[in-house]
Amino acid sequence: MNTLLAVIIGALTVYLAYTLYARRIDRYVIQSDPKRATPAKLYMDGVDFMPTNRNILFGYHFKSIAAAGPIIGAIVAATLWGWLPSIIWLVLGVSFIGWASDYSAIVLSVRNEGNSLSAVAHKLISPRTRSILFLFIFFYLLLVAGAFVGIMAGVMQGQPRTHLGIIVLVGMGLLLGQMLYRWRVGLVGATVLTVGITLVAILSGPWSEGTFTALNTALDGLTGGTPLVTYFDPTLAGFKGAEAKIMPSLFFWAVAICIFCYAGSVLPIWRMAQPVVYVGFWITALAMVLGLGGAAVAGFVKPEVAQFQIPAFKGFNPQLGPAGIMPLWPMLFVTIACGAISGWHALFGSVGTARQIENEADMLPVGGGSMLTEFLLGLLALLAVSVGAKGAPVGAFANGLGGFISVWGVPLQYAVSLAFAAFIVIVLVVTQLIFRVMRVTLSEWLGEVIPPCRNQHVASLISIALALLLVMTGTWIYLWQLFGGANQLMAALSLLLVTVWLASVGKNWLYAGLPTIFMYVTTVASILVTAYNLYFNVYQPNREAGRTLPMIGSGLMVLVALLLVIAAVVIAVDGVRAFMKYLRRPSPAPTTAPARG
Amino acid sequence: MDTPRLPNWFGGAWTALRQFMYGLTGYEFSRHALAMRHEMEAVFMVVTLGDLTGVPILPPIYSLRLLPYVVPEIATWKRHMARRKEFWEKDEYDLHGL
Repeated sequence: MNTLLAVIIGALTVYLAYTLYARRIDRYVIQSDPKRATPAKLYMDGVDFMPTNRNILFGYHFKSIAAAGPIIGAIVAATLWGWLPSIIWLVLGVSFIGWASDYSAIVLSVRNEGNSLSAVAHKLISPRTRSILFLFIFFYLLLVAGAFVGIMAGVMQGQPRTHLGIIVLVGMGLLLGQMLYRWRVGLVGATVLTVGITLVAILSGPWSEGTFTALNTALDGLTGGTPLVTYFDPTLAGFKGAEAKIMPSLFFWAVAICIFCYAGSVLPIWRMAQPVVYVGFWITALAMVLGLGGAAVAGFVKPEVAQFQIPAFKGFNPQLGPAGIMPLWPMLFVTIACGAISGWHALFGSVGTARQIENEADMLPVGGGSMLTEFLLGLLALLAVSVGAKGAPVGAFANGLGGFISVWGVPLQYAVSLAFAAFIVIVLVVTQLIFRVMRVTLSEWLGEVIPPCRNQHVASLISIALALLLVMTGTWIYLWQLFGGANQLMAALSLLLVTVWLASVGKNWLYAGLPTIFMYVTTVASILVTAYNLYFNVYQPNREAGRTLPMIGSGLMVLVALLLVIAAVVIAVDGVRAFMKYLRRPSPAPTTAPARG
Repeated sequence: MDTPRLPNWFGGAWTALRQFMYGLTGYEFSRHALAMRHEMEAVFMVVTLGDLTGVPILPPIYSLRLLPYVVPEIATWKRHMARRKEFWEKDEYDLHGL
């Protein structure tokens, strides 16, 4: 198997899914009508509701949904099960479920006066759905914050060449915010300056590596080489599990990341978070565009970087630790989350994007098209880790992506530096926003009951402390899969809402209903499997060895898993009741699809 | 002699690409700047004309003088202020992907 073949499969997937399936649903089921006024036109206020050109909205929506999720998921899945099941799920997931979820969430909002999913759920299903959504959101964010901080701290500890670029990125972000909002410098000039300097710093990584390696060594020397925390990691020793250590250097970088995220959470958005995301976007986009192009032509120009190095299939239930289970179903479907389907897209993207839809005919290209484009990002990550193959999964990804970039003549050493930096940047910029949303969620959810949570500093510190606790438990793989389960459960909730709405207006609900059932059953099963693994593969070994911190962390994760399952059951009960109620009502007279020019 | 022109489809594709890049990059800043200005305007409106939505403010002479200029905006503003909003609807809390 080589990368050109995989890129062709990806392109065919996008084309066939869009033209043969998505367009039919848009035309004959949803019956989008270009002449119908959208909320953007009806309620235009120039801020929230603003009719926007389709192409601009496509770029905006794509940027709102594409980030680190499809990359990390593909890396982990290929490592656990091989590239073949990963590519199959990516292709089938996005073709039948992913685009439908994103597109339908936008349709739901557009056809319901631009209301958010929670408002529509309140009306169609039950009032308590909103409260459950808060619970989902907070724990979902906590899990992904722990997963992202953990993986970043690990990469920064192991890859000192990335540090200079990250430090300069933060500085350039602050400078960009000042330049745009205070000094009124033009965007193009400010972009060239800040992105250029950041890129130079990233490419200078190999030269600064020695300095930061010495720093890591000095930090580890503070405890005489003794680890701060020792824990049982089921992914070590060829997935049989072994003792792993959290050294002072890893803890230092985890705290450094948390300080950065704290600043991003409490400072005004224009000062730090927004410009850092903007600069980071350019770095990542450069790496991904060069990478995808390189993957397509590598077979002709540099064949040695185009051949897959990892096995196609590693088994239906690969071993993970002495007592863990990792069945292909349901775990693959939550390990690769965002590249195939993601609940977060429905929640956020539909609100901002749906209120800018100028014309109903734009709903499919913007919503469905963005998800199909994000699939390509997941595919690129899968190709990179499949050809990279050296070292830990993130290292394999960076080596693979660096190989693709080197096809364009960039020396391999710098290409790999850019790939590592792109990975950390895309995770880092999202993580600071995650903590921002976490503190607001905490305020909204618990602010009435626990007034100190309304304080942005208190809420931020609580969120960061909880995430750090999860990092210190060391069970990253289960953290990621629990996050994937929560994310996919939100997708199932969004699809459930769409199904109920379709039934309420007398439309064919199968295209959303069948994926709802599949996602719901799969994600609840995956959360239960993860809870089982956490208890028998992490909690018990650490309890027997007397390791308190990992025990507390894994115990907390088991509780979160059970809470999510209970919330999912409540939503399912309410959702099925609402669905049956609308199904029993007489349907309105069928309408013909509007004529298209 | 006429300058050779590119085919229409190329011009259309180039325009679409420029618009896509704008959506990826600068559009967010313009939206955020608009939102910041709108929030300041909302404060101004509450102070000067808040009584229209039930805020007990006695309109001073200056509010009445401004009234003809804001009349076209009143319906939109009332809808915006009265609409229930979730915190995640603000661009400030957009995760930019996950």
